[in-house]
Amino acid sequence: MSFLADYIYYIGAFGLILIGLYILLTKHNLIKMIIGICVLDTGVNLLLVSLGYIKDGTAPIFSKPGLASENMVDPTVQALVLTAIVIGVAVMAMALSLAIRLYQHYGTLDMRKIKEQRW
Amino acid sequence: MEISNWVNPILLIAVPLAFAFSIPLFGFISKRVERFIPPLAMLFNLVISLILMPEVIKRPIVVSLAGFPPPFCINLFAGPVGILFSAVIALVGFLVSIYALDYIKEGAEEKYHMLYLSLLTGATGVVLTGDIFNLFVFFEILCISSYALVGYLGNRAGVESAAKYLIQGSVGSAFILIGIALLYGQFGTLNMADIAGNIHSVSPIQIFIPLVLFIVGFGIEGAIFPLNAWLPDAHSSAPSTISAVLSGIAIKIGIYAIARVVFTIFGASDMLLFLVLLGLLTLLVGELSAFSQNNIKRMLAYSSIGQIGLILFALGIGTDYGIAAGLFQFITHALSKSLLFLATGYMIYRVGSMEISSLEGIGKKMPLSSLCFTIGAFSLIGLPPFVGFPSKFWIVLSVLEKHSTLYIVFIGIVLLGTVIEAAYFFKVIQVLYFKGDTEETDPIVNKIPEASVVQEVKSSNAVKTGAPIVALIPMVILVLLIIGIGIYPKFLGDILNSSSLELLDRIKYIQGVLR
Amino acid sequence: MRRIIGLILLIIIALGFGLSLTEIPFAVPKTKVGRYYIDKGIDQTGAVNIVTSVVLNYRGFDTLGEVTVLFIAATGLGAILATVKKKPGREFVPSSLVLSTGCRSLFPFILLFAAYIFLHGHLTPGGGFQGGAIIASAFLLVYLGCRERRVKERSIKAIESSAGLIFVIIGFLGLAVSGYFLFNFLPRGIPNTLLSAGIIPIIYIAIGFKVGSELTGIIDGLIEESE
Repeated sequence: MSFLADYIYYIGAFGLILIGLYILLTKHNLIKMIIGICVLDTGVNLLLVSLGYIKDGTAPIFSKPGLASENMVDPTVQALVLTAIVIGVAVMAMALSLAIRLYQHYGTLDMRKIKEQRW
Repeated sequence: MEISNWVNPILLIAVPLAFAFSIPLFGFISKRVERFIPPLAMLFNLVISLILMPEVIKRPIVVSLAGFPPPFCINLFAGPVGILFSAVIALVGFLVSIYALDYIKEGAEEKYHMLYLSLLTGATGVVLTGDIFNLFVFFEILCISSYALVGYLGNRAGVESAAKYLIQGSVGSAFILIGIALLYGQFGTLNMADIAGNIHSVSPIQIFIPLVLFIVGFGIEGAIFPLNAWLPDAHSSAPSTISAVLSGIAIKIGIYAIARVVFTIFGASDMLLFLVLLGLLTLLVGELSAFSQNNIKRMLAYSSIGQIGLILFALGIGTDYGIAAGLFQFITHALSKSLLFLATGYMIYRVGSMEISSLEGIGKKMPLSSLCFTIGAFSLIGLPPFVGFPSKFWIVLSVLEKHSTLYIVFIGIVLLGTVIEAAYFFKVIQVLYFKGDTEETDPIVNKIPEASVVQEVKSSNAVKTGAPIVALIPMVILVLLIIGIGIYPKFLGDILNSSSLELLDRIKYIQGVLR
Repeated sequence: MRRIIGLILLIIIALGFGLSLTEIPFAVPKTKVGRYYIDKGIDQTGAVNIVTSVVLNYRGFDTLGEVTVLFIAATGLGAILATVKKKPGREFVPSSLVLSTGCRSLFPFILLFAAYIFLHGHLTPGGGFQGGAIIASAFLLVYLGCRERRVKERSIKAIESSAGLIFVIIGFLGLAVSGYFLFNFLPRGIPNTLLSAGIIPIIYIAIGFKVGSELTGIIDGLIEESE
């Protein structure tokens, strides 16, 4: 059980990633696929952040001079996640604009019906 | 050595980025001046890359940004591979942007130029960087610009292809990010040289999984066999200039990233047989599918998949001669495929359809474009005076050097692929030059990306005698380069040899960065 | 059928992940770069928020790439939605007096809060991206509450481009002064005061404006569509 308690964040992050992949593999509606991409990105960001955690750690900000620096969590992963979240938002914005145009042209968002480019 | 004091490789990335940000500001002054900014920026890049090239053959330049020592900051590693690639990107980008001066007339043009310049900046950033998360960020710049540019015309085909491309591409990016997370968790650093130095301190199973994640993630953009479902749709529905840049540059950046990860970071020499098999499979699937196509741009897209398989095969051979041959094939494909897409651009515009059968007899109406198409096709197949011949010949030689019967069988498969390629290209050339007996009076069949503009042309009964001068100049320059390098391949010999040594020699890479 | 293949693929992937996690212990310090940044962060950059010094100084080039990604997304969205034939405008009910007055009164306070967050990025958690997102939410409130107001597209484009150019120009100034792109060439000041950490507050102000105007442009483009 302590194994589970230690690794719960990793298991949660991978769970989100697998749920996101499952949505992308099995759902047909474009909006649901976009939500799946969002869940996938959230899972990856959670994985990145939880890599930096130190037991009983605090935020890496020296709000009073001379604060103890042994317990601060890793700042690099937070910088990586900042960038990754912004990239995720950018992809979602593009995906939503494509969904709007696709609905205007085809009248449906079911990807099984949008298959004009065949072979 | 004084040159590298004021010509810094960071200029190759920062200056085009500054130009891309300033295009709207120029647009406030005058709308006509915006089209000239991408050629200007790419000309600057080309000049700087050529100036730096003799320098980096002797010793690679390591630039650390923000002034801190390498493992604690991002660094650029401008080695022979990086500068060679940025020169090729700048050259192809420059020529295609000159072609686009007249070709892009509808849609939001200012945004096209901003996205085009960002795509090329992202590609240059990927090849020059020495830090794996920075590679991911620039790779994302490349991918997102290409999603937007594929759907740029806003018609049915373009938007559908862009949506499918986006969904598959974002899955690939997520896999790359998971791979980066696993690498950071094990090694504690993001610098490629640092990871490469410590790679043998963990058990092989631990580095197998990030390696697979990287190959799958970068392979979606690089169109390797099971992951290339997006490519035929995307490259055939995009405007022709974008098809040229996507086929000529973007998919190769995916293969470059795989090569960098496999050779430099992981040093995985037992993965190479797997890459060779994957390359062969991709080659066969691409060439066989191209053979049965009726739509010319789709045929060229499948042919790109085949050529990527060939490049992967050559890189997987693993000897320095093999890798040099693979890099030479990069250059060949970039030049030839861009020429093919540019030549078909105005042909399709003139005829109004992308079906091969409707291009009958174009050889007489647009002689220069058809000649360029023929030269591009011959170069891709590998006929002698053109640049495709030395590159394919080097690949065959490097395989024979390995003295292994398994590889002889592989070369047989590669030559079979070449024969199939020749078959479908000759079919198209025959249609171009020898008029069939049915005269198409209403050739607007289906799948026309430039539909609205072509309607105007048809209705005004315009008789264009070929493509405009602005479009012919880049094609002629490409033809001259193809013939020139084909006759004298030793011209590239130095840079290719030192590039392949850089990819193979990990110790020198690590010492160069970490000192 | 597709579900079964999907599930098998996912089980294989899950096994792969599980295998790779056994070597990465949780909640244990495992990085050397992190320790270096925490120990030497204040001396070398002057910002007490170590995450800010990593984002803008040690890994500032990644931030430049990230700003470019957002720029491309806003531009691409504009390009894809640009060739739409506008439907004839439908009638909409103007919002009530209470709603529009409330939204308009809240608007400057939200902008003030956003300015506080991106000005103090090097002292407290926050920074340019977070502040920019709050600016966009202020504009979204006005769009939803008082439905007739729109921001002019010219001003959005002008702010976006000039803010991006300022970031790159600061990098070039660093290159000219000391030979390293994005070098921190302004004086570091006394830590924990507002005017410290060299170029970091200036870049964060530029990023705050850029992200705010870009996200507002995205919201504007998407709301235009639904009219």
